[in-house]
Amino acid sequence: MSRPRALLEADLLAWMHEAVWRPDDARFARVALEVFAFQFEHCEPYRRFCTRRGATPGRVSDWRAIPPVPTGAFKEVPLRCFPAERIVRTFRTSGTTGAARGELHLDSLSLYEASLLPSFRRHLLPDLAPGGRARILALAPPPEETPDSSLTHMLATAIAALGAPGSGFFVSGGALRERELRAALADVGEAPLLLAGAAFAFVHLLDALERGGAKLALPASARIMETGGFKGRTRSLPREELHAALTDRLGVPAGRIVNQYGMTELGSQFYDSVLAEPGAPRRKLGPPWARVRIVDPETDREAAAGGPGAIVVLDLANAASVAAIRTADLGRRVADGFEVLGREPGAEERGCSIAVDELLGGASG
Amino acid sequence: MTPAGLRARLAELREAGAELRARPARATLDALAGVLDAWRDPASPGRAALEAELPAATGFSRAMVREGLSRALHGWSGYALRALVDAELGGSATLDGKGPTAAAGFDTTAVILAGAIPMPTLLALVVPLVLRSAVLAKAAARDPVTPRLVARSLAEADPGLGRAVAVVEIPHDDADLTAALLEADCVWAMGSDATVAAVRARTLGARRVVIHGHRLSLAALGSAATRGPALLEATTALAQDVALWDQLGCLSPVSVHVVEADPGACDRVAEALAAALAAAEERWPRGRAPATAAAAIGAARDEAELRGAAGRPVRVFAGPGTAWTVVREDAPALREAPLHRFVRVHPAESARELVAALAPVARHVAGVAIAGFGPHTLDAARALTALGVSRVCAPGTLQTPPLAWHHEGQGVLLPFTRFTDLELEE
Repeated sequence: MSRPRALLEADLLAWMHEAVWRPDDARFARVALEVFAFQFEHCEPYRRFCTRRGATPGRVSDWRAIPPVPTGAFKEVPLRCFPAERIVRTFRTSGTTGAARGELHLDSLSLYEASLLPSFRRHLLPDLAPGGRARILALAPPPEETPDSSLTHMLATAIAALGAPGSGFFVSGGALRERELRAALADVGEAPLLLAGAAFAFVHLLDALERGGAKLALPASARIMETGGFKGRTRSLPREELHAALTDRLGVPAGRIVNQYGMTELGSQFYDSVLAEPGAPRRKLGPPWARVRIVDPETDREAAAGGPGAIVVLDLANAASVAAIRTADLGRRVADGFEVLGREPGAEERGCSIAVDELLGGASG
Repeated sequence: MTPAGLRARLAELREAGAELRARPARATLDALAGVLDAWRDPASPGRAALEAELPAATGFSRAMVREGLSRALHGWSGYALRALVDAELGGSATLDGKGPTAAAGFDTTAVILAGAIPMPTLLALVVPLVLRSAVLAKAAARDPVTPRLVARSLAEADPGLGRAVAVVEIPHDDADLTAALLEADCVWAMGSDATVAAVRARTLGARRVVIHGHRLSLAALGSAATRGPALLEATTALAQDVALWDQLGCLSPVSVHVVEADPGACDRVAEALAAALAAAEERWPRGRAPATAAAAIGAARDEAELRGAAGRPVRVFAGPGTAWTVVREDAPALREAPLHRFVRVHPAESARELVAALAPVARHVAGVAIAGFGPHTLDAARALTALGVSRVCAPGTLQTPPLAWHHEGQGVLLPFTRFTDLELEE
């Protein structure tokens, strides 16, 4: 019999509300195994999946041995530990028309929001005084337009908790509200300024500025958070080029531009360390209740130090779905964090064959 | 290499092409036929060097390269080349302007190579030369070996041919060098949709542009091929089609569709195919897969297992590491194909359902191997032909297309040929 969810979540909420993050391997291991036992008991497809691998709570004694499910599974199978009638919110991955979309079902937003806020603040607004607020300009559609977007929900939650007057959303009807955004940028006031949103929305902003030959000089307090890829978009830009263009057009130095690594299927997010630990190597860091493994895809064991491998996340904020998730991304361990790798050189040179997913245009998120 | 240097090389090639065109076309054809015949011999210097060098450059296993070349080049003879010229041009004399219709190639042809499979590269260097068009070939990042060795063979066989071929290595993101390359009179681009789209965008002129995009292949088994010796025969042959070139060729099947069969047929096909892939791995080990591909295979396996765990009749058969995978699917629609010897077995209640399932990808399908349709084999082939498939063949022969295969539904020489009809009376 696993530990009741209420007790598990109470422990997690207490952890998430702690002011200081301390690395605590024993605590993570203990809670991770408790969460695994709970999910094994209450999520039937996951239980069968684990059982086929011989991974039962009685046999798994190391959190690293908890079987991860691939992100693609969230398109196929309802991975939740409660009945469907208790769903209060469903976040969906982006996707092309007609393609299956991954779904994260929630029966409560308390853990989800408690997890996202401390990371958001620590990695994007570390200089915010206690009780202080920042002007958060979101390059994303508002909640009423996209209630199933986890990015929008994250930004709305952050604005509600940390946003100063003038904070808001600047994408509507699929288009960037450029005029309103530029007006907001011209009148930033005293509060620290955060521009946050989808990477492709920033590309639209840059394109608009370039068309008008405009370059903005945002205040020294400005910082940028961009996230997500370009799958299914008409234009893509390598991340380094995006950051260079943001520096050029908005006057925000590279050390104040943060890429967020998050996904609909996860309750926690990972951020570039540049604002939280200026001067240290840029790497992705997450909260102490979420850990990342870099796994050799041939062996499913830890990849060689510094070597590439699949990014596998164990996110305890996913207490009511499945915490162990194998992402579709490659990464590399960097000190106490990791970096997300692009495609390997030559990887696109597969031969003359083509993967079906490219033909079907199925995008996961 | 600078853009100016590349343009100078193109000018030299133009002169070399003119020298070729000053000779009888037959002389060039004979030399090229001799090169093809030589490459069919595993002991020939070019072939031996390719077998030795390709594995390290591409990651393919040595045994697989040897088998793949042996099978693919078997039918690519000098005789087959002459027959192709006869069939498409009416003989080499047409290239000398004899007769009512004259045929010629362009002065120069730029070839943008892709991937790591050597046969398309061999063909891409030979075809323009048949038409006496000098070739400037951009080697693919994953295979700098094949074009260099083919060029060397050509030079050894005929110094005139050697002068008319140049192989260059250009970073794919070097816009200036690419622009210089695309100044050739004819452009033959192979590669991904993004690559060929970029070439199209840069060649909006009067020049001839021929595109060979990425493609995939499939297999369809009728009920007669789903049990007994016929099942063993079909799956053994399909496993060879999958294993050769590690499923990275456009003629590599990514899925097997079991049509109008009994409820247990998909399971039997998947089990037999898994056993055959395991045997193929013993004979022709898969080469190294990029970490991206290995990760995709792992994720696709787990995702299928989870669907099975959720109660759907989906099963996963997997070899050691990511060496090979067979997924028994429960629906006809195609799914993600990570390649590198990853095959899905889909049910289809009828040929009509199969055709509907393939419709979304029909224009990307190169070949389909079919078996087990008995007296309805030709009907099945015609249904696939209607989709636009350019090759329907038996299992085990996908990787051995004839030299005259109408790749992308086109001729082999014709897309690179300029015809002039002489309608004057003496």
